[in-house]
Amino acid sequence: MSSEKREVTLTIDGREVTAIEGEMLHDAARKGDVEIPVFCYEPKLGAPVGACRMCLVEVEGIPKLQTSCSTPVRDGMVVHTRTDQVKKAQNAVVEFLLVNHPLDCPVCDKGGECPLQDVTQGWGPGKSRVIDEKRHFEKPIELSPLVAIDRERCILCYRCVRFSQEVSEDAQLQLLDRGDRTYVGTFDDRPYVSPFHGNITDLCPVGALTNYTYRFRARPWDIEQAGSVCTLCPSQCNVSFTVRDEKVKRVIVRDNPGVDDGWICDRGRYGFEMFGAAERVTEPRLKGGDKVSYEDAIARAAKGLAARDGKVAALVGDASNEEGFLVGEIVRGALHSPHLDSRPAAGPGIDTILGLARPELQAAVPDIDEADVILVLGTDPMQSSPILDLRIRKAIRRNGARLVVATERPTALDGGAEAIARFAPGQAAHFVGELTAAIGGAENVATPLAESLRDASKVVVVWGERLGPAATAELLNFVDAFDTKNAGTDVDGPKTQDGLEFSAHQHVGLLEVPEVANARGLREAGVLPDAGPGLAALALNGHGTEEIREALIDGSLDGLILVGVDPLRDFADTARWEEALNAASFIVAFSTFTTATAAKADVLFPLETHAEKDGTVTHPDGRLQRVRPAAGRPGDIRPGWQTLSQLSLALGHDTGITSQPTAFAALTAAVPFYASITDKSIGGRGIRWQETESAANLPNSATDAGAASADTQRVSASDEAVPVAGALALGTYRDLWAGPITELNPPLKFLKPSQRLELSPEDAARLSLDSGDTVRVTQGDKSLEATVAIRERVPEGVCFLAEGIAGANANSLLNGHQVSVQIEKLSEVPA
Amino acid sequence: MSDQSFYRQAGSYLDSVDVVEVQRGPEPGGVGGAYRAFGETLRGLKTTMSRLIEGPLTIEYPEEKTPVYPRFRGRHKLHRFEDTGLEKCVGCSLCAAACPADCIRVVAAENIPGERVSSGERYAAVYEINLSRCIFCGYCEIACPFDAITMGHDYEMADYDRTNLIFTKEMLLAEPIERTPLKSEGEETKGAL
Repeated sequence: MSSEKREVTLTIDGREVTAIEGEMLHDAARKGDVEIPVFCYEPKLGAPVGACRMCLVEVEGIPKLQTSCSTPVRDGMVVHTRTDQVKKAQNAVVEFLLVNHPLDCPVCDKGGECPLQDVTQGWGPGKSRVIDEKRHFEKPIELSPLVAIDRERCILCYRCVRFSQEVSEDAQLQLLDRGDRTYVGTFDDRPYVSPFHGNITDLCPVGALTNYTYRFRARPWDIEQAGSVCTLCPSQCNVSFTVRDEKVKRVIVRDNPGVDDGWICDRGRYGFEMFGAAERVTEPRLKGGDKVSYEDAIARAAKGLAARDGKVAALVGDASNEEGFLVGEIVRGALHSPHLDSRPAAGPGIDTILGLARPELQAAVPDIDEADVILVLGTDPMQSSPILDLRIRKAIRRNGARLVVATERPTALDGGAEAIARFAPGQAAHFVGELTAAIGGAENVATPLAESLRDASKVVVVWGERLGPAATAELLNFVDAFDTKNAGTDVDGPKTQDGLEFSAHQHVGLLEVPEVANARGLREAGVLPDAGPGLAALALNGHGTEEIREALIDGSLDGLILVGVDPLRDFADTARWEEALNAASFIVAFSTFTTATAAKADVLFPLETHAEKDGTVTHPDGRLQRVRPAAGRPGDIRPGWQTLSQLSLALGHDTGITSQPTAFAALTAAVPFYASITDKSIGGRGIRWQETESAANLPNSATDAGAASADTQRVSASDEAVPVAGALALGTYRDLWAGPITELNPPLKFLKPSQRLELSPEDAARLSLDSGDTVRVTQGDKSLEATVAIRERVPEGVCFLAEGIAGANANSLLNGHQVSVQIEKLSEVPA
Repeated sequence: MSDQSFYRQAGSYLDSVDVVEVQRGPEPGGVGGAYRAFGETLRGLKTTMSRLIEGPLTIEYPEEKTPVYPRFRGRHKLHRFEDTGLEKCVGCSLCAAACPADCIRVVAAENIPGERVSSGERYAAVYEINLSRCIFCGYCEIACPFDAITMGHDYEMADYDRTNLIFTKEMLLAEPIERTPLKSEGEETKGAL
């Protein structure tokens, strides 16, 4: 890592600057507090291109001016940035750029935060000699339904094109035409479609690329920037909310190399308009929609829950660590019930969780950059944690990492993979076992993957919670198969900010992609059936999610607390959940929006969004981050911790929590390995608990190496695929755009997915189906309609449906076991 | 600093100060005394007497108003193009940025073809000036890149309710009530000395 790099000393404008060998002059100058103007250079985009010519400097010994963005530093270099020759060049470049740049500043959204304005003021000649007509293009046209392009304003810095080519690798943006008619566009003027394309509006140094969602909404002096964390997916990217009049107007990146590398996905960027949707729950309600005061609602909820005499369970989803902790206090402390879970389906037992939580096994996000081989196992980062997709692409493109993919469904990363393995839905545990055996030398389906992994010294495994409990338990054996005997020695000491120090021996780091944004935080805050806060063992283990459902149906449980979960949309087996919710005699729900689940609640409390919430969340790699309130809460919404602590108090259990700081203090007191973390140490960038001194407080798992055995009871026996004649095994995935994000956000409505049945060309031919045909997919007595999409990389005998799609939710076909579906053609695609 | 050097410096300072000679007037009494008692008093009264016959100089406000200079900075006006009738303001918010009293609020919106409000891509959907905060410095007028806002001559804006002092775009665009007379060329304000 950086310790190998030599430090060099150079002189910039008479100042002595120490830089790292190989660093670009522009970055070195910034360290020495010398500002060199530039447009095209952006270290996030990779290698410099020297396109804009703005950063010219004079280097002694080189007769001509050099672009500082693409000139590496040398020891003893003497650089001048303010000589007459440099000034003349800078003036000329600015004058050239302004030849065709319209004087739009008063109507341009970039005005006031525009690098071109700043550079013109700071380094420009002050006046132009050009009297001719400027170049004209049609004023803003749609580059995509979310991004407008004003080609007149473009200074051809290539940043957006480089983003499309080298970062998101969708290769859709191109420079078209020649000379002064050059413009940025897509082939055949098709809309630019990519889940990351909003980043180009942040990159654009002029007002050429602007967001339709922010068009003319505010000027830089009208707004406030409020840093927070996006909790729409487990990536937990650091964002900055642009707030005007207490409302979020825009979401932009807040670079944190430890989390997001300076990019955010379109979900996080454009998902803010649902915060003010009409479907938002803005005050406590009773069943039927009657609005009540908080005091009344808390009293009713407390009365109803207390009357259930301990037969109460709780499910937690979209919640902060503090809220999860408080739900645990209510259920375990006030209601004396052990039934509590934060996972949408059956998960691994506490021994497996503890085994995988060991700091030496945990890969941090930046470890992906350093990896030799990245194994993507049972998850598609593009759908579940989009920013990891960019991170993996970066590791491959820039750092020469190799990628192997093992999933049920084809992933967006397949194109860059060295080896790909597909396992049948439900066969994840079997596959991980095969992979473990293959690394040990066995010949089987996983051998090509094992060959890539075997000789690598640094392996990062990005694995999905979707693998299921059995496969997750297998992961511990998989890690043991590597030669990691001495790898642990150097991770006992303090870790560097960049992550784990790898030794000469193989090191395997695991990084989970969970189903819920704050899954790790909730588990560590004790929202698990078999572990309390700090993953501590319990005297009495409770029911997990699926057992809670069954217990509600058979009447052994009666009351239910739902915090930020929507079982009728997000959990498998919709019909059974409907039955369970109907069977429950008292439901207290916390929900951001009015959903089918929320309508079943006897008392419904509103929930804050991540723009309003104050609390902490834990990244899947163990980084505690603070969600800070940015916007005003609409209506009569009160903070989640406040409602929960008052509910606890009303139930006779005083948590002593009266504010966010006291809630956080209670959490760190209860979770031993958070003990040394303070609000100050979290700061703006977060802190990984593995890197603090309290990491040693992680409890040891009871059975440690034999963790897999503890889980077997939780694995349903029918995980084996049941072949049915003429049927296809059904695999499901969570679509990035399924859910309220596209249903309640007016600008994102066009992305609302419809149900697609993905199947292989062989199966399509056998069933005489063509892409675009409408089919009925039947499983038992349940069915849904979908459109056929033939995908070559889908293995034969398997088909895929998306979860969470309104009206045709694949969850309705699932029953907790591996299922097969019958397909019946309804209508052909119109010719 | 030693005492000696202090006095040396102080001495050199005192040397440079001119000697002040006190000029004394004549001793009281006699002819001079009589002149000062009556002559000078009468000389002062001469001004009083001459003003007496001029009549009252009070401006009977509000029936009568003081005319203002052409560049007087009174209540703001928003302007339209005379030929097209479109608003000159494009809602760029530069006036709000320049305003030291932070009394201008602009919320822009995009022009829809066919229902064009301003000549640019955007227009001011909301344009409010809180005149109870305004200090009439005229920076908004200077900042405006389209001469859309100017300072008018009206200074009669008192009201019983602060909320009435928040002037909306419609109020600022309306033909201003020219309640205040403008000074004609070379005219001096009545009563100016």
